[in-house]
Amino acid sequence: MSDPIYPQNQPIPQPQLQMQAQSQAQTQGQSQASQSLHYNRPTPGIPDQVYSADGVIKPEWDYLLNSLNNLGASALKERQDKARRILRDDGVTYNIYAENASPNGQWELDLVPAMIGSEAWAVIESGLLERAELFNLMLRDFYGERTLLKQHALPPEALFGHGGFLRACQGIKIPGEHELILHSADMVQRPDGSMCVLSDRTQAPSGAGYVLENRTVMSRVFPSLFRDSHVHRLASFFQRLRHKLISLSPSDSQARVVVLTPGAHNETYFDHSYISNYLGFPLVQSGDLVVRNGFVWMKSLDGLDRVDVILRRVDDVSCDPVELRSNSQLGVPGLLDVVRAGRVIMANPIGSGVLENPILLKYLPAISKTLLGREPRLDSVKTYWCGDADDLKFVTAHFKQLIIKPIYRGQNLNSVFGGDLNPADAADLLAKIRHQPTQFVAQERIDKPHIPTLIKGALEPRPAILRTFSVAADNSYIVMPGGLTRVGNNVNSPIISMQAGCPSKDTWITASEPERTSDNEATELGNTELEASLMSIPSRVIENLFWMGRYAERAEASLRILRTVFIMLNDERAISKASQRILLRSITEVTGTHPGFLQASDEQLDNPEQELLLIIKDGTRAGSIRSTLNSLLYCADESKELLSSDTIRVINDIRDALDDLDSTLANGLSSAPEEDLDPLVIPLIALSGLMQESMVRGVGWHFMDMGRRVERGVQIMKTVTTLATQTGDDGDNQTLLNAMLRSMEVFITYRRHSRTRSGIELGLELVILDDSNPRSLIFQFERLQQHFTTVRTMDSNLKGLEEEDRVLLEAVTHLKLSRIATLAESKDKTRTELSTLLSRLNILLSDFSNILSSRYFEHRMDPQQLVTTTWED
Amino acid sequence: MRYQVRHITKYKYASNVSHCYNLANLMPRNTARQNCLESKMMVSPQETHANKRTDYFGNHSYHFEIQTPHNELIITAESLVDVAESRSDLTQSSEISYADALSFLKLQPSLEVIQAREFCLDSPMIKASTELAEYASPSFSLSRPLYACVEELTSRIFQDFSYTPGFTNISTPLAEVLAHRKGVCQDFAHLQIGCLRAMGIPAKYVSGYMETLPPPGQEKLVGADATHAWIAYYSPKEGWIEFDPTNDVRAGSQHIVTAEGRDYYDVTPLKGVIFGGGKSPILAVSVDVARKPEGFMSR
Repeated sequence: MSDPIYPQNQPIPQPQLQMQAQSQAQTQGQSQASQSLHYNRPTPGIPDQVYSADGVIKPEWDYLLNSLNNLGASALKERQDKARRILRDDGVTYNIYAENASPNGQWELDLVPAMIGSEAWAVIESGLLERAELFNLMLRDFYGERTLLKQHALPPEALFGHGGFLRACQGIKIPGEHELILHSADMVQRPDGSMCVLSDRTQAPSGAGYVLENRTVMSRVFPSLFRDSHVHRLASFFQRLRHKLISLSPSDSQARVVVLTPGAHNETYFDHSYISNYLGFPLVQSGDLVVRNGFVWMKSLDGLDRVDVILRRVDDVSCDPVELRSNSQLGVPGLLDVVRAGRVIMANPIGSGVLENPILLKYLPAISKTLLGREPRLDSVKTYWCGDADDLKFVTAHFKQLIIKPIYRGQNLNSVFGGDLNPADAADLLAKIRHQPTQFVAQERIDKPHIPTLIKGALEPRPAILRTFSVAADNSYIVMPGGLTRVGNNVNSPIISMQAGCPSKDTWITASEPERTSDNEATELGNTELEASLMSIPSRVIENLFWMGRYAERAEASLRILRTVFIMLNDERAISKASQRILLRSITEVTGTHPGFLQASDEQLDNPEQELLLIIKDGTRAGSIRSTLNSLLYCADESKELLSSDTIRVINDIRDALDDLDSTLANGLSSAPEEDLDPLVIPLIALSGLMQESMVRGVGWHFMDMGRRVERGVQIMKTVTTLATQTGDDGDNQTLLNAMLRSMEVFITYRRHSRTRSGIELGLELVILDDSNPRSLIFQFERLQQHFTTVRTMDSNLKGLEEEDRVLLEAVTHLKLSRIATLAESKDKTRTELSTLLSRLNILLSDFSNILSSRYFEHRMDPQQLVTTTWED
Repeated sequence: MRYQVRHITKYKYASNVSHCYNLANLMPRNTARQNCLESKMMVSPQETHANKRTDYFGNHSYHFEIQTPHNELIITAESLVDVAESRSDLTQSSEISYADALSFLKLQPSLEVIQAREFCLDSPMIKASTELAEYASPSFSLSRPLYACVEELTSRIFQDFSYTPGFTNISTPLAEVLAHRKGVCQDFAHLQIGCLRAMGIPAKYVSGYMETLPPPGQEKLVGADATHAWIAYYSPKEGWIEFDPTNDVRAGSQHIVTAEGRDYYDVTPLKGVIFGGGKSPILAVSVDVARKPEGFMSR
């Protein structure tokens, strides 16, 4: 072994490890010709996690770096690409709706894991266990006896002046040994190797879902490296979390646990949906929950289901607009009173944000002595509180060397490094501090240690921080063996945050020998429970599936009519002006982009390109392709937990195609424009296939398909009404019939049949009365009847013939009793019978949709405050 | 003195309210000089769920939920309260000086002092400002008894500010009250609390009622009384002492306490969330404070 990257005093790697690395390189078909990957010893003085103080590569990194080096840069690049594809296909996003988010809000995973040896980890773990216990005791004390104040371990202003101390939460108790269920800490390694906590997350710590996803991707992209590295598994942590949540239930019957998210617009929504799916608990939003009779309930299709435990991702103050922040749209009115009565358990409890107060870090040694009888094992960043006269003096004198932080997040003030401020801003901040000294702390700036990160095919040093996760279990806590490592965008990045688009890493705790798998991988946590109780998912999710079906169909119909018209307008056989106009109007009708071509001047009708482009790509216009697809994507996000992974992949294809739409259409519609629409048409067709073939026939599927059928029925009627209820000369009639047949995908069938019969009668039969054609009108109504019959068997509230049945029965009867010859008959250039039939059916279909919606979907009024309290915040 | 208090709150809505969740602070608490004998809440339409509790500050909160659609909400709180005169041993001869009070608060953190210090900090509706400190400071010299300082501050607020209903509402900032020297009892209470906190003295907001007497020879009108608000400040060794800046008096046997908190926000008589109701609900409040003979019980 004569690898030039190793320093001279590098111990020779174990032969066994070396062999593994080689065999892996061989099996992966890599040759040493590929550019090798060096991670050089850093310049002294800058802490680095790979090298120990005397310049030796730490054993836990050695094998990894060796393997990566053997793999070579180009192979690693391929795997990075593969990882990106997997993340994209899984729909892993961060901050997807932010205005200045990274493209698509794609989650960034760096393929070089952060390595921690099991001995070092054992120290960290015991420190974290103690810290979680300490924070748990603090939480109990703050909302209980407040012994810490009485015993002078903490000045009263440090607690009473913190915005997270919610007086309404006084006395909340939850079952079991712990008040604090989840504890997370952001920490860095100091140059001497010890860990130092920068901040604690105790309200609704996010990130565990991303950790799981990172791990899934890593183990798929590096199967043998992962296996041979003996990495501690994560599954048992989540099992314990699930078990803990269920055990909190105050009710005797089977515990119903839900995950409360602020919604799809939240930056870490992926994390919420992933966790809820993994744990098998429904993901709910504020509107899905309601307080009635002193309990919390989830609104589902069959009514209200009692909720026992809420894993929340909504901040403390947003949880209840009655008692907390009154303008919150993310909470549940009356929730806190149910919580105090112990009839629903929140994890973490409302009010736990008080533990995020950075003043506590200054007093932690004294607090720990009072509560645990000893100083904490795990260090915290050196913190100065401006509410303390001596500290304030120090902070003023060393302003430029310190990070200044408001004690409470959400005051429109962020942490800043004093040295980064210009004199005016510094004076301004100092004035604010002097005005409200109790509201600020200052912290020493710690150089974050570097770890190797893949940048443009090379391993570069980047500063890193680690977020850890602990969960209460029995009489102690369990620490997730791993965590979310994030690295800075630059070698000197002072701030490392997901908001800044910093890449993440999987964190590998390596064991010296393989972990026994028996107790860890025994139970695969799936969503079996979820499927078994499909009737009790939030009705909002079902409503979104219904609308997803409608939007998907609307987009398809819109694209088909556009394609048909493009082809016909550019056909070698010229069509008359009159036909051209009717064709353009049919686009306006089908897409619903009124007034559009309906009120267009002759000139506009002769030069339709501008309007056609807008109909495709103007997202601000209701009915445009872009707008309809955006709605489709939103519905998909809201019902993500019921979509298969393939469906999510196709949804991502649609998102990508939409992003590319402007460049696709950069040259306008000058050449074969129908081809430009293919990137949209193809995933839509795939989506419709998946809806039929990959969805469990649960209530979700029935509603999604009902949405599709309703929309298709609407579109058939619009198309037939525009293209076939008026008649003109023979040529025009033929053109419009062709258009109708093409846009409804029955042109081939028509031609096949037309040896024996042809003309409008055959055309109308195919699109209206042929019950073997899945695109005929009668087919849609009959399908709706079948769906509703199935829904009836699931919904115990339904008895006898419901309104929905009556409406559908009338529609089907009308259709079955019609005669094609009569429908085709034209008097005074109008097919009166056809027109009458269609308008009656249109009313019935819309009645059906409305009755169904008001029966199953909630149309809740927005809440308002009885008293407006504008002085809040 | 024994009083029967009836406090009726009526909301009229432009359209139906389908559901509401409310929190009322209308049931009088007990204090050092007050004993609440009976207290009951009546809600129309009938509440579907209700819960009574003692809150962080020791007040009696009443939470209720209504599921019956309604366009009028009537909440009646009826209470029987015994109120004593303010403690007579506290007079101007009180010895603790402002300077001693400050150093005691800082250096002798007894349990009571620790709890009182919460009321030195900013609260939702009262924020420290230099204007408040400037207004208060002429009354506070270090060698003077604290009691005398607060008594003078009370009188100055009474003299400098005109009682002007309608000029302010509950969301009028304190700075505006100070600038225009106008307001109602809750503004004056907030103002005095802000002044006291600016001087380093813990101060809290007291909501309640004051018995009013009709002009001589006239019958007292029904509903003529009103809700009232005043303050209490903390004096080391002497405890909490109540002053009423609106009337320039120590709060005494005519002051009936409902609730105490850092400011109005903590003791809002009725708040909540309603679904529906349309715009601008109309609020009407009527209060009757009736003196009752000793031994009177409502049942």
